[in-house]
Amino acid sequence: MSLATAIRTAPGTTPASGSAVPDAARGAKAGSAAGARSLRPAIALQIAGALLWLPQAGLLALAVAGLVRGEGLADMVLPAGAFALLGVVRALLEAAGSRLAFRTARGELMRLRAAAAEALALGSPLDTRRPASGLVASALAEQAEAVVPYLSRFVPARRRATLVPLAILACVLPFSWVAALILAVAAPLIPLFMALIGWRAKAASEAQLIELGGMNAFLLDRLRGLSTIRSFGAVEATATRLRADAESLRQRTMAVLRIAFLSSAVLELFSALGVAMVAVYVGFHLLGTIGFGSWGRDFGLGEGLFILLVAPAFFEPLRELSAAWHDRAAGQAALEAIEALAGEGARIVGTDEAMPSRGGHALAVRLDHVRFRHAGQPALLFDDLSLDIAPGEHVALFAPSGAGKSSVLALVAGLVAPEGGRVSVDGEAMDAGSAARLRAPMAYIGQQPHIFAGTLRSNVSLGRADVDAGAAGRALVAARLGKVAGVRGPAPIGEGGRGLSGGEALRLALARLAATPQARLVLADEPTAHLDSGTAREVGDALIELAQGRTLIVATHDPALAARMDRVIRLDHAAQQQGVQEQGA
Amino acid sequence: MSTGPHVTPHIGASHRAEPRGGLARDLRAMGAILRLFLAERRGAFFAGAALAALTLLAGACLLALSGWFITATAIAGMSVTAALAFDVFAPSAGIRLAALTRTAARYGERLVTHDAALAVLAGLRERLFRGWAAPEAAGRLADRPARLLFRLTLDIDALDSLYLRVLVPVIAALATTLGVAFLIGLVDAHLALAFSLIVLGVGALVPLIALRAARRPSRRRAHALEVLRARAVDLVAGQTELIMTGRLAAAREGLAAADQRLAEADDALNRVETRISAGFAMAGTLLLALALLAVAALNGAGTIDAPAAALVLLLVLAAFDPFAALRRGAVELERALIAARRVAPRLAPAAAPPAIPRAMPGAGEAVRLRHIEIRREGAPLPALTDIDLAIARGERVALVGMSGAGKSTLLAAIAGEIRPARGEVAALPSVLLTQRTELFRDTLRGNLLIADPEADDERLLAALEAAGLGAVVAGLPGGLDTRLGEGGLGLSGGQARRLALARLMLAPAPLWLLDEPTEGLDGATARDVLARLGRAAGPRSLVLATHLRREADIADRLIVIAEGRVTGTRRRGDPGFAAALEALRPD
Repeated sequence: MSLATAIRTAPGTTPASGSAVPDAARGAKAGSAAGARSLRPAIALQIAGALLWLPQAGLLALAVAGLVRGEGLADMVLPAGAFALLGVVRALLEAAGSRLAFRTARGELMRLRAAAAEALALGSPLDTRRPASGLVASALAEQAEAVVPYLSRFVPARRRATLVPLAILACVLPFSWVAALILAVAAPLIPLFMALIGWRAKAASEAQLIELGGMNAFLLDRLRGLSTIRSFGAVEATATRLRADAESLRQRTMAVLRIAFLSSAVLELFSALGVAMVAVYVGFHLLGTIGFGSWGRDFGLGEGLFILLVAPAFFEPLRELSAAWHDRAAGQAALEAIEALAGEGARIVGTDEAMPSRGGHALAVRLDHVRFRHAGQPALLFDDLSLDIAPGEHVALFAPSGAGKSSVLALVAGLVAPEGGRVSVDGEAMDAGSAARLRAPMAYIGQQPHIFAGTLRSNVSLGRADVDAGAAGRALVAARLGKVAGVRGPAPIGEGGRGLSGGEALRLALARLAATPQARLVLADEPTAHLDSGTAREVGDALIELAQGRTLIVATHDPALAARMDRVIRLDHAAQQQGVQEQGA
Repeated sequence: MSTGPHVTPHIGASHRAEPRGGLARDLRAMGAILRLFLAERRGAFFAGAALAALTLLAGACLLALSGWFITATAIAGMSVTAALAFDVFAPSAGIRLAALTRTAARYGERLVTHDAALAVLAGLRERLFRGWAAPEAAGRLADRPARLLFRLTLDIDALDSLYLRVLVPVIAALATTLGVAFLIGLVDAHLALAFSLIVLGVGALVPLIALRAARRPSRRRAHALEVLRARAVDLVAGQTELIMTGRLAAAREGLAAADQRLAEADDALNRVETRISAGFAMAGTLLLALALLAVAALNGAGTIDAPAAALVLLLVLAAFDPFAALRRGAVELERALIAARRVAPRLAPAAAPPAIPRAMPGAGEAVRLRHIEIRREGAPLPALTDIDLAIARGERVALVGMSGAGKSTLLAAIAGEIRPARGEVAALPSVLLTQRTELFRDTLRGNLLIADPEADDERLLAALEAAGLGAVVAGLPGGLDTRLGEGGLGLSGGQARRLALARLMLAPAPLWLLDEPTEGLDGATARDVLARLGRAAGPRSLVLATHLRREADIADRLIVIAEGRVTGTRRRGDPGFAAALEALRPD
């Protein structure tokens, strides 16, 4: 964990009362309640380990009392051996407990990640409310990591902080009610003071909008725009500003931390004073100056030392809880973020199951009286849309942007479900049972094809068992990417490396199509948008050539490309009321 | 068999390809970071560690003095005269002093170390920015995708933990051990010597073993996290491609496989961390058992009395507490070293290459290129070959050609951002309008002042008006102080471009370089922006890179570029000019 998050979530700067936890976090917390329950064995091991200190302290206290009575080296061998043995067992129990807690927590994280990935995979790509990929990556990769310390450290620490001090109190009480009282009074005061200070710190941090992560964001933001900054000769000014902002952030943060750290100072003070008062009380009692507090019988050095030795252990769980406090806020925020990924939204039709597809005749596509609106939008996009596309036909859906061309392609591919009406492919209705099978013989080319992390070739094969390296290489040549492939070789592209130009990305999508000889229906969404005219012509040529013998539906507002299809279907505003106007080309 | 669409995870290939760092390399990298820490806050750096040691020492004294006091009072309490003669005030005052010192020192330590860490963060970020802003480093950064910028943040965070988790605990543990040894030495010098040898030996050995054990899993973890991240991006951004090729389920499995590898690395690191804790706990227990035997022997021999024995035992009790803080540091140090190796070169701008030579062109000329050749780092073929070009002052020139022809590279060469492999570049001071609109998360004013820090509000508003944003800004309650970006003003693509245009107008440079100035805008907006641009340019020289007819139409001359060479030039009025325009893409 970084300093940035450490400070942002230092005890006191976060809602210590828990009252500010948003509803989503409660939902996520409920979701991981099972995770917290499965931590019980781990917590039991840790508590057993912590309590072993009681017999150890007893042995040590008795040994010192023995020294005072004049016992020698020979008398100490047995207590020393027993003490060492108990210590080793304690260390092993605590280690086993924390390992078990870690494994349980890590397993829970894996479950949460898999569930979020499934929800994302089955959500409709047409749903504009879906989180952007960068946001998903941050939530699922780095931020989700905070779940592990929350479950493996904070949750056990909280349980230990409630049980271990009580057990120690129960062991001190039979010897001296005064010593027990000192501890019992000091302990509940700690959370009280911490909460009081926490509220002040929270108010202060809210007032000043402390955002240490903002410093990283500022640096990244300026580095992204470095060409502009350099071009305007503003490097020096930006660097000075960066330093000045960081400096003022430091001052404001320190103002908050001065209050926030008081909460841990209070904890220190009470635990230190608690130990000191116990020691002084025991000392005066042994001197005979103070006679009361021990149920009428005097306790000796052994009992007195035992009380002193367990007093720090009484406060230790509270200190551990305080140290793990920042794990709580970060962990709950992470659970909330993961929960948000799996939010309600439009879903694809059917599942993402892979189905075998064999070549065959070109497919027919029919839309009958389809009603559709974008998820979360009040207005209908299509009220009553019907289309009939014959096997092997090349059709352009021609309309300005925003008229719903992409939605028609998505409906045909089953990437979103219509509100009413019927979509059928090759005479079979698209529904939950048939969608995965009907999608199998389709191929899709988007206007901004995604480039996957990997090599150019792996971007063509996409890991398909039936596309080997040779086939991928041939497909690249067919899509006129042979030269680029030669220059790039096995260098990574996509997230891990340099990108491709718009034209190269489109050709990559064409290569994916070329590597799919069994495709019987090709859907292309604005394949020539944003390309220069030369590249657009080449992409059009390649697309038409690859679609020979297959049904092709191209959504476009490029008149040159539309004119090269067998038929143009205009899909503009008027068409939404009157069905579609069709014209031969 | 591959589970995901990724035949081989190439993410982090660069990291694996790094030469296996020798110790010397690690030390050099660490040295650069340490020097930064010392340069920023030398006093606080040591004061923080000293206060941490004082906290630990006061804690040990509190317990040891209490143990001595209780034992002494127990002995004194056996006889009434001794009890009356016993000085209770000095020890009990000492106990209270230790309690208060521990509290105050702890509070001070936390404030001082966090203040120092924040100051170091500020310095680190400023230096990194300057390092990356050096001429050729900036070009390399521009080639990098967002992920590498993201890696930079993780690196900075990893370096943050160096001070708080490694440096402070090491110094504090050393100082505390020596302090406790001194106190034991007051009782018996041999005991003190044995104590320091054992504690320092174990205290050094355990973290060093852990450091070694954590090396591989730390690297694997850094790598696996990046793979997981890349696969999450692929799953969401490539969802349609994956569904339509039947690979979505496989991509989910790929993500789960990356998480599995990450979990294995996490588990290995947790095992190391747990073993450090268990190791110190066992060593502490055995040391205390040994100490018990030793003080029993010394007590039997009459060398020390029982209260001194209690004092020694309770000092030994906390012997390894200062080292517990090193647990996380030992596990995280390897990640910090990876970060230091990557970040350190950017912290030493002394090694920066000299500025790219850029002569002034002759009289009446805005740009003069003489047979320049440009070669991208590591590329087998030159990006531009034998470009020979003169642009007159006040002339407006469009570079046209297919994507990848070298138009943007030529603009960068004129701007002096790329060092030509051959030839000579002479140009007037220029300002570049980048292809992607680059605005900053700042106020409107902050975004505009980049171009002219001296400009007053009147001049800023005039520029916004000329760019067609006058009405938009007038309608903002915050005016020029409105923030852009998250939680602030959301600009449409057209508005963002207009703002970039307003910024351009504020720059005094006599040469404007425009890279696809209206790409992605609808026709009507684009034409308005172009008209305003033409008016605002006035007598300036313009060079624009474009593949759009509407943009090239504002030029006096078209220069056709194909495969890194100039293949044709058409002046307005030439017979080929209209045909060349016609060949470009309409809206």
